[in-house]
Amino acid sequence: MLGTLNKYRHVFLVGLQSNIVYRWNFALRGFISLFHLIVVFTLWTAAYQGSTEIGGFNVQQTMTYFVMLLVLQFFIGAFNEDYEISEEIRNGLINQFLLKPINYFTYRFTIYIAARVVSGLLILVPLLIAFPFIKDYLTFPDELWRIALGLPSILLAGLIQFSIAYCFGMLTFWFLEIQGFVILSLALETLLGGQMFPLDLMPDWVFKISQCLPFYYQMYFPAAVLTGRIDQALAIQGLIVQIGWVVLLLGLNCFLWSRGLRRHTAVGG
Amino acid sequence: MLYYLNIWLASVRYSVVRTMMFRFDFILWSTVEFFWMSVNLLLVTVIYTHTDDIAGWSKYEMMLLVGTAMLIQRFLMGFFWSSLFEMGRNVRTGNFDFFLAQPGNIMFMATTRKLDLDGLINSVVAGGVVIYSAMQLGLQPSLTDVILYALMVACAVMIHYSAMVIITSLSFWITNTQGLESGYFTLFEFSRLPRQAFKGITRFVFVWALPVVVVTNIPAEILIHGFNFTDTLWFAGVTVFWFGLAVIIFHRGIRRYSSASS
Repeated sequence: MLGTLNKYRHVFLVGLQSNIVYRWNFALRGFISLFHLIVVFTLWTAAYQGSTEIGGFNVQQTMTYFVMLLVLQFFIGAFNEDYEISEEIRNGLINQFLLKPINYFTYRFTIYIAARVVSGLLILVPLLIAFPFIKDYLTFPDELWRIALGLPSILLAGLIQFSIAYCFGMLTFWFLEIQGFVILSLALETLLGGQMFPLDLMPDWVFKISQCLPFYYQMYFPAAVLTGRIDQALAIQGLIVQIGWVVLLLGLNCFLWSRGLRRHTAVGG
Repeated sequence: MLYYLNIWLASVRYSVVRTMMFRFDFILWSTVEFFWMSVNLLLVTVIYTHTDDIAGWSKYEMMLLVGTAMLIQRFLMGFFWSSLFEMGRNVRTGNFDFFLAQPGNIMFMATTRKLDLDGLINSVVAGGVVIYSAMQLGLQPSLTDVILYALMVACAVMIHYSAMVIITSLSFWITNTQGLESGYFTLFEFSRLPRQAFKGITRFVFVWALPVVVVTNIPAEILIHGFNFTDTLWFAGVTVFWFGLAVIIFHRGIRRYSSASS
């Protein structure tokens, strides 16, 4: 057990080093995200001009939700993991893992954690710069249960994010080019993950359907728990469904890996 | 002029044949773009179920604005994006030599060579959104207003094209401009907002200094409120300014181009 942990600790450290190389890339991405935040603030403050509440939430609560989304995106969002996995399959780089006592999923997941540590810490820099401008719009609920449920839901959301990206990466065993699928899925995730607007603003029946899908749990759910958009009963129920989705997606990952390997041809030495 | 039209038509033929070869890609990417457009329209619909106006714009006025923004973006992507993206890469690899050897204006040759049909096909959808919104608003624009709207959309595409040429031309000085190119796309988000929503410093930067907001607002306002002399004149001036700047920077850049060793 300790040996296994040690093995992946080294993977984590290598991942950390290789991602620090791209620190400027992440930093630039972080600053570009501030532009997105300006768009969100401009649009929603204008929408709030005529009314004090939208969907039962005031302007501060809605802005806090969007800032929380931005932070979560850099701490748990799957950036280009799907492409990296796809590249490793296409170029035959996965062959080395077939010969070593390394679980490919765990290996990639460890690299993903290392990458998110770097990108997550780097988004804090532009946010700190923007803080004087946005501080009046930030408001957090003071119930402790939100943190107790919110933190595990962030970890589970990270697992869902990564698992979906991993599944798309696995598609390379069947299709050479996955870019189209990934961008189509990105649009779906952006919408149903609540990144365009808080999902609770949709008609009730659509909101209920979205709760059955994994996208709800990969971004909206932890953000909604932490920013006070859903109550305790819905949060507990959500956490249970979220665990269910994690198990299901992990199972799908194993299935696609074992099926994909049957199609895989390792060429060359 | 006819000479360049013939060259451009040959590029169109080449792009159509190429698209027919990769039919699945065409269908997939058209669907992807269509889906993204629907997501943006859905955002407007959802907000307007909770409020009646955004910065003085009603639901269908906002839809018309978003439709105009999509139309401009589709034209830019369809007519120029592939060529501009390749231009940056060609400057880096030295393949830009190919354009220098062609008998014609280099900027024209390098930036109009490839058309993206999946971008263009969705301009029909964007146009549909504009027409639908105009009908819902009960607008009956005169023929002059429609022609003026089309001209303003063309000017908007021209402004974006010029900005992209400027950004891509930076690869003559710095090696990699890909981060800047994708950064420019973030600015498209601003073009879906009404200019009245911007306040303070953001109003100065995004409405006046950078043309990202006015490029959609002025054409949409012409269709909704009719011809406005000051706006139209200002818009024409901005188009000439940006295009002129692009031509100057592009040609300054070519002077620095040193090809690559073979």
